[in-house]
Amino acid sequence: MDMAYLAAGLGAGITAIGAGIGIGMIGKSAMEGTARQPEASNDIRTSMLISAAFIEGVALFGEVVCFLLAVK
Amino acid sequence: MAQILRKFALTLTVIAVSYSLANAAEESNKVDVLGKLQNHSYLDFKPFGKVELPLIFKDHDGWRFYPSTTAAINSGDGYTDEHYLLHPDQPKKIENGIVKPIAYHLVREDGGHIEYNFSISSHLTFFLLSGFVLAFIAFPLKSKYVAGIGRTTEPKGTFQNMFEALILFVRDELARPNIGEKKYLKFTPYLLTAFFMILFMNLFGLMPFGVSSTADVTITAALAVTTFLITQLSASKDHWKHIFWFPGVPVPIKLILLPVELVGLVTKPFALAIRLFANMASGKVLVYSIIGLIFVFAGLFGDAVAYGTSPIIIGFALFIFVIKVVVSFLQAYIFTMLSALFIGMAVAEHDHDHEHEHH
Repeated sequence: MDMAYLAAGLGAGITAIGAGIGIGMIGKSAMEGTARQPEASNDIRTSMLISAAFIEGVALFGEVVCFLLAVK
Repeated sequence: MAQILRKFALTLTVIAVSYSLANAAEESNKVDVLGKLQNHSYLDFKPFGKVELPLIFKDHDGWRFYPSTTAAINSGDGYTDEHYLLHPDQPKKIENGIVKPIAYHLVREDGGHIEYNFSISSHLTFFLLSGFVLAFIAFPLKSKYVAGIGRTTEPKGTFQNMFEALILFVRDELARPNIGEKKYLKFTPYLLTAFFMILFMNLFGLMPFGVSSTADVTITAALAVTTFLITQLSASKDHWKHIFWFPGVPVPIKLILLPVELVGLVTKPFALAIRLFANMASGKVLVYSIIGLIFVFAGLFGDAVAYGTSPIIIGFALFIFVIKVVVSFLQAYIFTMLSALFIGMAVAEHDHDHEHEHH
């Protein structure tokens, strides 16, 4: 039972690392793109949010698995 | 002057809240954090008490209706609270000769569970409430637009201006670019409904005594299934062709792509449901976890540290609440945008010969 809590905590942390790297890279590219071409900032923001939502979705799958481990 | 007063009031509030929380830590009341995420058969108006909700369910011997969990337990039909079934040695909670439930989870006295539960639970109450609020907003707005105010003239009044901004945002920023000029008007009503429903459900969770029904996976799954059905039922011929027999690639690749596309068909609504659910649920757990740090500190280092750190921790919890307001809007936006994107991908008609000429 205690190991399940440990696994949930570690899993949640590792998922956060992955999601953080992914969303950070998206934000970096979006900012670079906006700086180079400010007139395209609306399109860039939209596609940035879509890709961030996809990465977040994968990360949240991990979080849900950790939830299930913690309430097991 | 007003700014100084506002800062003073904010500081006072933070101190008052942290003081009462630190007092609660001394009483060592257990808070069931994951229980806050679950669907209950009552509305919790702590500290004023609970309002029990009606039970509607189908058991093996037919439909049953009870005005409350207490009525179901005292009806003598063979139902009891799960707490009394699991702990038969503990005394029952009796008020005025009526047995009161403790776990608020109705089970059969022989240990079996209810077969099909259609009860008006706490999540469903707030789902219906947001539906009514949406109807109360949508119908006056509709009559205004039918009368021509906002179409032929400028929108009138704060109410219409406030919602026209959001409605135009959904139509012009989400529906039109993602679905395409030809067909976007057909799907805008659904996208608007989904956007405002999710927004209201999210925001009701931030109100005092409120429950955000989007923190329930069944409600988000129902929304995602609706998007899935609308997407598939309005899909063009090219959409099905791309799934079953991908054009423009050799036959072995077509065979590899068939299962990939079939899985992709299901994962899209699945991800929609889980994304919305997990975002709303994790926000709730985060607030409780951060406030729980006070109790952790009280246990580890003593009461003085708990008193000292509680203003900082309450500040963090307040910050998370501000983030939750942003997330409420953002998740409604993302759900609507991805729905529009999926619908747009499905209804798009590719002119293949035309494309080949260009490339």
